[in-house]
Amino acid sequence: MMMFGYLLASGITTGALYALVALGITVVYKATRSVNFAHGDLFMIGGFIAYTFHVMWGLPYVVALLLAVAAGFAIGAVVERLAFRPLRDQGLVSLLLAAIGLSFILKGTARAVWGGKGDFIPFPPIATPSPISVGGILVVPQQLIVLAGAIAVMAIFAGLFKFTKLGRMMQATADNAKAAKLVGIPVNRVYVYTMAIGTAIAGSAAVLMAPITLLYPDIGFVLFIKSFAAAVLGGLTSIPGAVAGGFLIGLIEAMSGGYISTQVQDVSSYIVIMLVLVFMPQGLFGGRALRRV
Amino acid sequence: MRLLLGSRQFLFLMFAALAVVPAVANPYILYICNLGMLYVILAVGLNILVGYAGQFALANAAMFGIGAYGAGLLQVKLGAPYFLAAPGGAILAMLIGTAIVFPALRLSGIYLGLSTLAFAMFSQWVLLHWNSVTFGGGGFPAPHLDLSPLPIGPDTGIYFLSWLVTIALVAFAWSLVRSRIGRAFVAVRDGEIAAQSLGIDLLRYKALAFAISGFYAGTAGALYAPLLGYVSPEGFDLFQMIIQKSMIVVGGMGSVMGSVLGAAVMVFLLELLRAFKSTQEIVFGSILIAFVMFRPRGLVTLLQRLPGWEEPLSSFDPRRLFAPAASEPASSPLGASPELADEGRR
Amino acid sequence: MLTVRKSLVAIGALLAGATLALAGARAEDVPGVTKDEIRIGSFGSLTGPTYLYGKLTMNGVDAVFAKVNEQGGINGRKLVLVREDDRCDPATAIAAVKKLVFEEKVFMIIGGGCSNATLGARPEIVKDQIPFLVFASVADGISDPVAPNIYTTMTTSSIESRSQVQYAIDKGAKKIAVVSQHDAWGQSRYEPLMAELKKRNITPVVDLEMTVDDNDATTQALKITSAGADAIIMELYAKPGAVLIRALNKLGQNPMLIAQTGIADPVAFTKEVAIPGATDKFVTPSAVRYAPSDPEVKEWVERIKKMFPNDELSVFNLMGIGSAQVLVAALKAAGPDLTREKLLQAFAHIKVDTDTYAGTIICNDPVSHQCNQSPAWMKAAGEKAEVVGVTKLN
Repeated sequence: MMMFGYLLASGITTGALYALVALGITVVYKATRSVNFAHGDLFMIGGFIAYTFHVMWGLPYVVALLLAVAAGFAIGAVVERLAFRPLRDQGLVSLLLAAIGLSFILKGTARAVWGGKGDFIPFPPIATPSPISVGGILVVPQQLIVLAGAIAVMAIFAGLFKFTKLGRMMQATADNAKAAKLVGIPVNRVYVYTMAIGTAIAGSAAVLMAPITLLYPDIGFVLFIKSFAAAVLGGLTSIPGAVAGGFLIGLIEAMSGGYISTQVQDVSSYIVIMLVLVFMPQGLFGGRALRRV
Repeated sequence: MRLLLGSRQFLFLMFAALAVVPAVANPYILYICNLGMLYVILAVGLNILVGYAGQFALANAAMFGIGAYGAGLLQVKLGAPYFLAAPGGAILAMLIGTAIVFPALRLSGIYLGLSTLAFAMFSQWVLLHWNSVTFGGGGFPAPHLDLSPLPIGPDTGIYFLSWLVTIALVAFAWSLVRSRIGRAFVAVRDGEIAAQSLGIDLLRYKALAFAISGFYAGTAGALYAPLLGYVSPEGFDLFQMIIQKSMIVVGGMGSVMGSVLGAAVMVFLLELLRAFKSTQEIVFGSILIAFVMFRPRGLVTLLQRLPGWEEPLSSFDPRRLFAPAASEPASSPLGASPELADEGRR
Repeated sequence: MLTVRKSLVAIGALLAGATLALAGARAEDVPGVTKDEIRIGSFGSLTGPTYLYGKLTMNGVDAVFAKVNEQGGINGRKLVLVREDDRCDPATAIAAVKKLVFEEKVFMIIGGGCSNATLGARPEIVKDQIPFLVFASVADGISDPVAPNIYTTMTTSSIESRSQVQYAIDKGAKKIAVVSQHDAWGQSRYEPLMAELKKRNITPVVDLEMTVDDNDATTQALKITSAGADAIIMELYAKPGAVLIRALNKLGQNPMLIAQTGIADPVAFTKEVAIPGATDKFVTPSAVRYAPSDPEVKEWVERIKKMFPNDELSVFNLMGIGSAQVLVAALKAAGPDLTREKLLQAFAHIKVDTDTYAGTIICNDPVSHQCNQSPAWMKAAGEKAEVVGVTKLN
């Protein structure tokens, strides 16, 4: 029973990370109907930027967090305006290739700027590393901070989406971009804000996660794939679905590693996604799908 | 001004030039041209699946690997001679590739892409962990092509074998896309419901598309093993998939000529990029982005206006293929299909 | 107007020019050697996640070459390093070697990052008979069986595994756990380790996997705890290694931690783990005996900073520095009348101390071309790395 508790805690922590990144993916998808394959690499750059602010320039953690989020916002806006907007109506394959190009540029830049500083960049923990006991299970305070931070970001975002004008514009654009244009919603600007917010969320995920993980330029892709799987699991058009999917994937990994074998821990999420897509492609919370002619 | 060569004549010249390479070039150029021919096979096969039949599948690199592993393992573990092991590897890739049609019946666009990508990651995992069969992460040496008692060395031997196979497969694809089957593929791509109403059996044609592309990728893999003399999981990973996808987009989707062009351009580009040493990634990424911005329909569109270069059914607009959802009236004549409207499939 | 005929002529001219350029040779008696310079090739990962073992090691080689060139070169010839990317892929490594041999026409090759890529390129290297000094790849198959033109200055994985198991036994470990990555890198260490354990009749109490991207090792730590392991042999990169140690620390576990050259800098690793005291029982057999923070390598800290302003001296640079110094010694011994055969002769008889390797480099030709048989056992002691022992196997 102890083991189950530990696995649960582990699954929830990793799951929070997947949930945050999946949230960013879903936000962008809802508005633009496309998935940004470079999302994981934007996460990575956010992490390195936070490293530069906090470790290299000595700014306090919270300041670094805010600056990294702001930088993510800016980078997302720029990427949307320069790279993705011209391709918005070119279709999935062009967007995919542009995102792949962006991914290479980000990784190459990270390697050139930070790659020579060491193999894996440590981020100093913001709480003491000694474990504390939560209901009999030992957890590291940083895990709780990640969880709390993730919930905070999700709550802020949910509020934004539901209660602000921008949020409502985003919803309208997601439902029907042409109609939104007709009623005067500045659709292109909404896209810019959406990408910016999505990237800012990724940046915040990176900063929350950095003290638990070690940064390196290739950290993005595997995280992206698993978070994408989590988003699809939850239903790609559902924000609570993305969050639920993230936690689920984290738990599945922890449980399969603990109860089956560590050898299958990494591949369990791929197997799950293959099964889900075959039997339940709309995901847990996605709407019933219609086939349009 | 009339072009002296039509596309057919161009291909003929290209293959004639390739035949001369072993006599004039150094081993590095020979190797790169051989790789280029294998990439042509991969690109043509992938284009049939993605460009003609409209299936956004990302498992081709895995099929490539299955072909290489199949051919190599049949030789190394079962002692089979190459002329049996190679088709064995290709057929294995074809069979496994065809199995992917089942998710493809229900999924499209992003969802099909994700599920085929998950399948590709899963097969990488199998290659790495099934040590007793695949030798695991370390890979294994595969025999070079031994054409004794003919007086042809292994390097030249695999080159000419690749040359012959490439010609055959390109010719087959060329006539396939101009046949009834090719038209059926395009009908599936451009409107599944309309295609069905014309009596086209989706399962049959999608399965055929997956089988063909799997066979092509597997054949390329079976030729790859003796070219390298070594089979290991690295060459069949996501980077390889990205290269293949880029080839057909750069060359032109829905065009056999485009696949050939794209493969040639990509192979030479990868070698030319070497000059950038550590900044290769940044340069490559920038080229990709520039390309999709300025020539999204592929290089072949530059040529298709010329007489002798037209390709039927290739007035291919990638916008219609994978367009993000435009607003269309919802209707579900077929009821419970869970294919998602989000993808704007026709 | 760009007529078709004109474009055909242009294409034809381009092809002709390219063929001439590519085929054109500078006729030389000894490839890569002129009166003024020696061109030396290198292949390894310059891009992708494994760039540490390629690009950074080559940076170390470049630093040594720069120092030698400042002092006038070797017999009046400056050393030039020609880098090629193998993208950690056998096919690309073969292309890189072919390019170095047939286009760049280098004198010899110092390189080899990812083991699979180097293994893939090995037959080509043997066929072309170009001298090859391995600087980072550890797979035994590269240098064993002995090829007349291949030598390695990197401790091979069988040398490492023998040292790891010996250390565990010497320190009285009774229950050994093994945690490894199952990618090509990990596999090249895992297999010799399991073979060595079997030879000594030791069965690991648990045999677990981690991936490079794992952010949490709770599952692994739980299994290690319930097996009661007192020593863990970690065939892991620094990141999963740090994640594992943190998880173990959380559960209050404190076993012996035995790593390998993948975690070659214990001082940096301690910072990565970031839990005071968690690495007290951590040792790693390193091919080099200093950590970058050691004052003994201060000269190289400055040289690397000057040549590569964004970088800081890392243990991968040190590996390249040691290997390049062995090469320089061999080039000097081969004399002014330089040929490939003379260089190979020089390697066969070499005996040199470098700024970074723990032991003297001796190649026991023709028995073994694995010239670095002395891994140094290192642990972190504050800002310095302390050598707690050197295993000499030759």
